[in-house]
Amino acid sequence: MTAVVEVGHLTKRFNEVTAVDDVSFAVAEQEFFTLLGSSGCGKTTTLRCVAGLERADAGRIGIGGETVFDAAQGLDVGSERRAIGMVFQSYAVWPHMSVFDNIAYPLRIRRQPREAIRRRVDDVLAILDMAALGRRMPSQLSGGQQQRVALGRALAMNPKVLLLDEPLSNLDAKLRETMRAELKLIQKETGLPILYVTHDQTEALAMSDRIAVMANGVIHQLAPPDAIYRRPATRFVLDFVGAVNYLPCTLEAVLEDALVLRLAEGARLRVPKPPHVPTTSAHELAVRPEDIVLGPPGEGRPAATVTLKSFVGTGFDYRLRLGEVELRVQAPKTAAFAEGEHVGIAITEALLLDARQRGDAARVGP
Amino acid sequence: MLPPAPSFGRVMSRSRLVERLADHRFVLLVALALFVAITVVYPLFQVGVRSFLVQGEWSLANYRAVFLQPRNLEAVWNSLWVSVIATLLATVIGTVAAFLVQRTDLPAKTLFRVLLVLPFAIPPLFSAMGWVQLAGPVGLFSQWWREVFGVASVPWTIYGPGGIIFVLAVTNYPFVFITVAGALQRIDPSLEEAARTSGVGTWRIMRDVTLPLVRPAIYGGALLAFVSSIDNFGIPAVLGLRAQFYVLTTRIYEALTIPNMPLATAMSVLLIGVAVIAMVGFRFAEGNRSQYAVIGGKSVTPNLIRLGRMRPLVTGALALVVLVVVVMPLFALVLTSFLRFWGADLTLANLTLRHYEAVLGAAGAQRGIRNSLFLAAAAATILMIVTVLISYLHMKAKVRGAGLLDTIGIIPFALPGSVIGVAMILAWSNPVVGPTLYGTIWILLIAYIMRYMAFGLQTTRATLAQIHDSLEEAAHTAGASKLRALKDITLPLLRPGMVAGWMLIFISAFNELTVSVLIWTSGSETIGVWIFLLQDSGFTGRASALAVLTLPVILILYLATQWLARLEERRVAGKGT
Repeated sequence: MTAVVEVGHLTKRFNEVTAVDDVSFAVAEQEFFTLLGSSGCGKTTTLRCVAGLERADAGRIGIGGETVFDAAQGLDVGSERRAIGMVFQSYAVWPHMSVFDNIAYPLRIRRQPREAIRRRVDDVLAILDMAALGRRMPSQLSGGQQQRVALGRALAMNPKVLLLDEPLSNLDAKLRETMRAELKLIQKETGLPILYVTHDQTEALAMSDRIAVMANGVIHQLAPPDAIYRRPATRFVLDFVGAVNYLPCTLEAVLEDALVLRLAEGARLRVPKPPHVPTTSAHELAVRPEDIVLGPPGEGRPAATVTLKSFVGTGFDYRLRLGEVELRVQAPKTAAFAEGEHVGIAITEALLLDARQRGDAARVGP
Repeated sequence: MLPPAPSFGRVMSRSRLVERLADHRFVLLVALALFVAITVVYPLFQVGVRSFLVQGEWSLANYRAVFLQPRNLEAVWNSLWVSVIATLLATVIGTVAAFLVQRTDLPAKTLFRVLLVLPFAIPPLFSAMGWVQLAGPVGLFSQWWREVFGVASVPWTIYGPGGIIFVLAVTNYPFVFITVAGALQRIDPSLEEAARTSGVGTWRIMRDVTLPLVRPAIYGGALLAFVSSIDNFGIPAVLGLRAQFYVLTTRIYEALTIPNMPLATAMSVLLIGVAVIAMVGFRFAEGNRSQYAVIGGKSVTPNLIRLGRMRPLVTGALALVVLVVVVMPLFALVLTSFLRFWGADLTLANLTLRHYEAVLGAAGAQRGIRNSLFLAAAAATILMIVTVLISYLHMKAKVRGAGLLDTIGIIPFALPGSVIGVAMILAWSNPVVGPTLYGTIWILLIAYIMRYMAFGLQTTRATLAQIHDSLEEAAHTAGASKLRALKDITLPLLRPGMVAGWMLIFISAFNELTVSVLIWTSGSETIGVWIFLLQDSGFTGRASALAVLTLPVILILYLATQWLARLEERRVAGKGT
């Protein structure tokens, strides 16, 4: 598969701060590619460099096989000639133009015939399920509808790639989920590759084909969602994507498909063998809340005390106390325990970390 | 494969410089800088330097001359105390009126609001004339008072400091009213609700919560009222000259009619000093109380105080104040313009159109009307174009140096008009380079441009700040060039703000007197100058007739700005995402 967007060794400094530090990645045809990270990690700056709204200090950017930016050659193709469609976090729907005019603008700029413009805008409005709203002004639209207009405007001239900058962050939770599904459907329909920026890890996991997790201007891991979640490359990725419990422990035995650990408070725990067993004097077990199974206490299943129980619809959220450690557990609806009750914990999947390597950039995997 | 990241050194920065020189934004910036230099920096520089020059030598002799003459010192002192007391009065009127209109269940609020802000648009000269016609020796009030109480003379005089203070206060309170009413409208109601749920009564909340929150707005409005008082020429000229009561602006006017240019220059610098000291004083009094960040940008429905049984009484009192302060002076002007002579009995036989015939027949008055319309329109148009470009380079293109132009352009706002007048004469009567503009209408145009540049900069900056960067960026990514995006997106969105700014400058320039009266010459009279000269020479009827003729222009424009502002408010409110 060929790459639609290629970013190579991109670096962007604002005064003394390096916002984007030697970032490289490629977006394939029809791929949903996400830059994920907290605010200030450089994801939006990277996207704006690709869009041509920010000029990088070093590196190269290619779109659709053509180089649009190359610092070494001093090449910088203007935003208006990069054949991209972009949706901004603030929507940036032009308030003085009707829905129709907003979507028609990119076509009018390209001097397409009137009839062709009308047909294309109608098509786009149909895709967005907004056929009846063409003559409305943006101030008469809800936030979700404005969002769709922004998307329609980006789709109108069949761009080579769609750039989306936190497009759903201003919508309420329910609408966000609807738009998430719709965005995926529209991408399937149009076959457009998407470069997506978000700080919302749920969103990234649910929508992306591949995710690049960024922090401090650097890509920590570039992988499909399940690998990001289950095989994080660094401590930052492990912490940032999903919730995690840490259990200090010592390694007692390495079996063929399991490890025997002794927890800090003394109990012995048996866990499935993780992909990587670091050699170190101090270990730490990292477990996702849904990978802890509750049952009666027994051999290899240390007892913990339920301190807090909350019903969350899909199941229960428990807080447990195990020695000095507080554990967060997501259990199914059938696993009902009372606060104060002693329950045994078993672990279905976990990672074993080197407790002495604590920085964000510390490697977690092999 | 992608090439490795190249390294950059000094080569890049040099090519950047070349690039910048070729950049049209840079050329534009240089042109704008030249404009600001000619209209603001050079005249100011002239005032500063010339006051220290005596026959080409550096000297403090001009200042010595100012201080040696007690009359001059007196004028400085008079300017100060008259303005301070007038400001205090204006602050009380403005604040009380704002509370009543914003926070009580007063009826007919929109009408009250429009009428209360109206003096803002009426030239102070008109108010002074109106008050002479109301409370002067043969004024309407005075006649009425004498009849009712059967006395030979009234126990007050409109001529002198008392009259000046009173008329300054009733013309300048709208500054306080507008800022305080705005702040009251934007207070987060939950702050008051929190006090209410703690069991505090309504009046106590007003005193302990609301008043402290709007205190910065009160100080801000008072400062504007003070600067406007210090700046004013028309009121102390009409009410003070006859009583031999001088303030700085009228002393400068006198010095220029002699003419004693060095003395006028030195006093201008003193006037700047008085204004600066006052502003520092205000900042000091304000302390760090202005640090409150609780007044948000969104307008909310506040809790209204029920006036209860007091309602008819309060309404009546405010209506009376509005009637006396706003309506009566205008009414007096209209009446006088139709009376055979000022002070004549109100009988049908005494009504005449001869003042109108006289002023409309006079070539000077005709020229005045034409000049004022032309100057106001030209200044407003040129300023809106220039300031929108400066603000755009500053706020959107983020060109370095544009911010400096913005700062310099705001300076004249703090300068009393007399200083600008003197600066213009110094700069353009025998300029080092360029033509002698003194004696032509162009010196007035430059003076108005200097005086009202801040209005243009402030309105365009505020409007641009509301236009999110992404709106223009969205046009780039949609395929529009920078120029095209400017034309299709930014300019249409800027238009309402620019129209409002244009009207603000037009009204202000049309009403201008303080500067014009110093730099007009035969042929370049403005309507304000002409009205003042008629009034000063005792042609009260003709002065009133000419004033009444300008009122429709002012009122229509004023109502249009109010209507535009409301339209804009509704547009922003309707956006709510």
